[in-house]
Amino acid sequence: MSKDVTETAADSSADENNHDGDVVARAVDLVKIYGDVSDETQVSALDHVTVGFKRGEMTAIMGPSGSGKSTLMHCMAGLDKPTSGKVFVEGLEVSAMNQRQLTDLRRNQIGFIFQSFNLVPTLSAEENIVLPLQIAKKPIDREWLDEVVRVVGLQDRLSHRPSQLSGGQQQRVACARAIVSRPSVIFADEPTGNLDSKSSSQVLQFLQDSARKHGQTIVMVTHDPRAASYADRVLVLADGKITRDMAHPTYEQIFDVFSNGDAAEAEDGEGEDEQ
Amino acid sequence: MSPVVTIGLRDTKAHFSRFVMSIIAIALGVAFVLGSFCFRGLLNRQVDAMFATNADADVCVRGDIPTSRIADSADSSPGTDSSSDVSASASSASTSASSSSSADSDDESYNNIEVSLVGTINAVDGVSQAVLARSLDGVVLVDSDGVATPTMGGTSTLGMSESQPWRSAHFTQGTYPHGIHEVALSADTAEAAGVSYGDTTKVVYPSSGVTDVTVSGVFDLDSSEAGGLILGIDPDVVDSELQAQGTDTDVISRIRVYGDANGGQPLTEDQQRQLADAINAALSDDSDATAVTGDAYRDKLSSSTKKQLGFIQPLILIFAVIALFVGSFIIANTFSMIVRESMRGYALQRSIGISPAQVSVTVVIQALALGVAGSGIGILLGWGVVELIVAALAAQGTPLDASAAPSASSIVVALAVGVVVSLLGAALPARRAALAPPIQAMNETANPEKPTWPRAVEGVAMIALGAVCWRFAVLVANADNLDLGPSGWPWLNHLGVGWPLGVGAAFAVIGVIVMAPALVSPVAAVLGWIPSHVFPVTGRLAVRNLGRQKRRTANTAAALFVGLAIVSCIGVVTASIKTSVSDIVDNNLRSDYLLSSQSMRLPDAAIDDVRALDDVQDVTARSQAVGITVNHDDSIPAMTFVVSRDFADDVVSPDSWEGDFYGALDSDSMIVVGKSLAQKYDWHVGDAITLTSDGVTMKAAEQMNQSDSTGVSGSDDSESQTPDYATMSSEDLQAQMLARFQQAAAGGDDSASAQLAAFQQLQQTAAAGDSAASAQLDQQVEQYRQAMARSVEEAKRKALDDAKASSRTEKYTIGAIAKGTPWGFGLWINADQAGQLGETDALITSVAFVKFKDGTDLDAARGELESIAKPYYTISVMSRDEYTNTMSSMIDQVMIILYALLALSVVIAVFGIVNTLTLSIFERTREIGILRAVGMSDGQVRGMIAIESTLISLMGTVLGLVVGVAAGYEIQRCYAPVGMSSLTVPWAQLVLFLAVSVVVGVLASFPPARRALRVPVLDAVVVD
Repeated sequence: MSKDVTETAADSSADENNHDGDVVARAVDLVKIYGDVSDETQVSALDHVTVGFKRGEMTAIMGPSGSGKSTLMHCMAGLDKPTSGKVFVEGLEVSAMNQRQLTDLRRNQIGFIFQSFNLVPTLSAEENIVLPLQIAKKPIDREWLDEVVRVVGLQDRLSHRPSQLSGGQQQRVACARAIVSRPSVIFADEPTGNLDSKSSSQVLQFLQDSARKHGQTIVMVTHDPRAASYADRVLVLADGKITRDMAHPTYEQIFDVFSNGDAAEAEDGEGEDEQ
Repeated sequence: MSPVVTIGLRDTKAHFSRFVMSIIAIALGVAFVLGSFCFRGLLNRQVDAMFATNADADVCVRGDIPTSRIADSADSSPGTDSSSDVSASASSASTSASSSSSADSDDESYNNIEVSLVGTINAVDGVSQAVLARSLDGVVLVDSDGVATPTMGGTSTLGMSESQPWRSAHFTQGTYPHGIHEVALSADTAEAAGVSYGDTTKVVYPSSGVTDVTVSGVFDLDSSEAGGLILGIDPDVVDSELQAQGTDTDVISRIRVYGDANGGQPLTEDQQRQLADAINAALSDDSDATAVTGDAYRDKLSSSTKKQLGFIQPLILIFAVIALFVGSFIIANTFSMIVRESMRGYALQRSIGISPAQVSVTVVIQALALGVAGSGIGILLGWGVVELIVAALAAQGTPLDASAAPSASSIVVALAVGVVVSLLGAALPARRAALAPPIQAMNETANPEKPTWPRAVEGVAMIALGAVCWRFAVLVANADNLDLGPSGWPWLNHLGVGWPLGVGAAFAVIGVIVMAPALVSPVAAVLGWIPSHVFPVTGRLAVRNLGRQKRRTANTAAALFVGLAIVSCIGVVTASIKTSVSDIVDNNLRSDYLLSSQSMRLPDAAIDDVRALDDVQDVTARSQAVGITVNHDDSIPAMTFVVSRDFADDVVSPDSWEGDFYGALDSDSMIVVGKSLAQKYDWHVGDAITLTSDGVTMKAAEQMNQSDSTGVSGSDDSESQTPDYATMSSEDLQAQMLARFQQAAAGGDDSASAQLAAFQQLQQTAAAGDSAASAQLDQQVEQYRQAMARSVEEAKRKALDDAKASSRTEKYTIGAIAKGTPWGFGLWINADQAGQLGETDALITSVAFVKFKDGTDLDAARGELESIAKPYYTISVMSRDEYTNTMSSMIDQVMIILYALLALSVVIAVFGIVNTLTLSIFERTREIGILRAVGMSDGQVRGMIAIESTLISLMGTVLGLVVGVAAGYEIQRCYAPVGMSSLTVPWAQLVLFLAVSVVVGVLASFPPARRALRVPVLDAVVVD
């Protein structure tokens, strides 16, 4: 079944790509092998993955540790080079880019939210938020900035340094920073991994709202079914392959996937992920 | 081997590339330490060897009444003092260089003793010879190319003869010189001049002028003279030259005694003591003389020379301290990184039962290995550099034959310093390795720094103390009477200005270092203003990054701070000296060219020739009256110049004066006195002043003038030489005796006729082979020889006594006190007053100022002057600019050394900055990853790091410049009363330093930036 789903998804996105602006980012036949190619010990992290991400959609990538979910995101974001296959963001071939082009990509098309230590400690919250714009020497859209700040609820925290903010607040600053430059796609790597549930839901709510209200494309890697339940679409990876592709799944549906068979594996993986 | 040691050594191997910078820094520091020891050892050994040769007496007889060292106090003031005498300044470079090599440097401060003591001493048992060993300054040896022999170490001219030998000189060819037309040369000197035994060349004597001489002998010396030229001339020639210069040759500062207990070899210390005791027993109480052993005398001589050279080692050691400070700091940083990276390994080691202490031992072992390696390299480096310097000096004509090899103890010290500094640097990281919990947050900002305000308070307090010291120094320098002020304690006031200045500078430097962490943020904000605005993101990030580890930033900047403080301080001082000196040239000196002579005396004929030139408007000679005593006090070193109003009007006028300056110049009853002398001896306008001339000088000058009149070429000296009866052959003596008898007999003296007949009879009998007659003849001849020698001595004495009796004393009134160069440094009388003192013939014209008519081609005029000067060998022609430059060329040489030291401290500082930034970037790996992930380009990362680096470098530089210029300003104010009258801040130089520091900062950022960019963004942002 999983095979079918993957193929279908790939086919549909491939069809849509050239003529349909709806797909912002896509991977074609992506392979990532760690270790020496000639070596017996090589590990295949991505095994011919083809997938597309639609504009304005929030996608959660799930899977146990070692399933390749992080590798997929890193390759999509240009942080990692695939062994073979291609990655496109806004029609640009990320997988063939040099450093300068990658920098341009990060400035114009991509936003990042990491699990922790997202912020530059010497800059205030506001300075952190506008950092990508300033680095790219782009004008700051005050109205948009104010709205973003209001939505993440940081109006009275703007002049604080990261060390004066709670983990949840820091992560909301990171979200604001990612969205303020209106990138084509935001990649979020376990954005709630270090947060308590209340802070988590604030961050996830914000991400969901960004996608739904502002058409922001978001790709989020998580191992938390509750986090994944905020997404419009959930991809499940195992052994470098997409095994499930669920549209608007409920928390229960997601939880179910992990409770049979894959679940034990997922639990193990979580332990490691969380260090 | 214990497993802990194994782990330590394996880690050392694994981390070796990390250690390279630490090893270099330690090696540099140790090289400085050892180099300073080697250099001091080398100089000391050379000084000892030279004194063992130059002052080779077994016993030295000198006066036993200490005299105040007034002449010395003038030496302790800075370089401008040399400008006190316009003529002296031109040759001051060579005289200062030769002071260490001149045979008996005038360093002792006792009364002079009677020359006649030689006889008393010679009569003492065990004395082989008592020698006066006078030396003569200002002699020039003309080389085979017909120009003055070039030398790096000055020329020493010693009186030497059979009866006044120099034991350390071993004649390889020929023998001692006799008369003014012979000279003996050391082998090195002969080689330098390109002449050999029997050759004819020319010597320029200070008073007798250019003289043809034959090389009467060539001698080897026991030690190299460090490039100095050594001439031996007849002691009688030395005496007459000295008399012409106003030196009383009846007395001498010391008599050199050789003993015979060792068969011509130097005596042992015990033998020296016995001989000294014997001589002391023979010396009468009223001779005011005492004998000291040669060793004691040499120790005293060499210790004072060593003291003069002693500043070199501390100067080198300052840079050693900088290098080692940075070194320990680099080590601390490096180990911090290693320890941080190795935390897991330590946790593992702990979990298998290795104790915390053992964990730290693995770190300490690495530090030890590093320290030993660095010190070893440093020792070789330091020694090697000193050997290189020795080789370079030898190539330049200053051979040193002392060994530069380090002593075992200095090697141990250098090694210990290197190892201890390494261990100190590693101590804190080692502790952290042992105690810190194995898994620790990587983010340094999680542990905020201790507040820096206590450092600010301490630093400000120290700087305030420094300011107090400086204020005190200025007050001391300007105080009229040190017994009364500025402080209530005279002993404190009499410490001089050097101590409070130095202590103040130390307080200022250390104070700034202490408070530097508190200065980081404000200074970074100010210096970072431009980059923050030009590069809004990278600039701001860089400025803020500096404030994260204020102590680390401050320590990194400290290396540059100290180096630049020293260099800019000396820069200000040297620039001020230059301006102070050139002030007279620029503002006051009105002549086009100066003529001066290396041998202190400009021949009158040369001046006349210049005067005869068509386009010369005016030649003004400034003459010095020699042998003048002021107020009957020998200790007042008053140079008395004879000038006319023209000198003030046409050549150089004083800056200012009290009293009636022109009136005093014109009046025969008033004289002009220099401000600095007046201050020193508390003279005021209207005071009476007594001048006493010295008859010997006038007499000698008269004789010189007579021989002068025969022409300067020295073709044939008409002056009849007094025969040396001691060496005259028996035949000559007999002929003389015969002649005398004949003369007497011809005068009609009957008894003389009888003596003549008897003597002729005796000669014939002896010639016939009668041994009794021949013995009798010998006896008669010998008696005659002694009688004649006695009568010659008596004649000499009588002449001297007569001359002394002709000395005159005149009373004058101080009519004006003049300030400014050169007026401030001498006594000024007019030609009539010189006549009153009987000095007219004894004037030495040391410098002549030439002014050409308006519109003269000055370059062509120069050619004319030079062609006049050429036959005199020693006359130099200088334009106004060149005259200033002769004084500043020394200063420029100092600056070259300074720039070398600056370069070294910059190199060390670069290491420090590179290392600090590498550590800082290592700590910020993840943060830089985030910045790159949100779009920061490689160029922006480089820019950010370059700005950080440059700001550190600029901070050190700016603080250094501020403190250095302040110190320079203080020094100038302290020495303003003795001639450093104007303050000049070399702005161009300071701006250059700033520019260099920017370049240094940018360069230092390259390695850390490369390191930062080498880490892939993914690795940087994904926590393991």
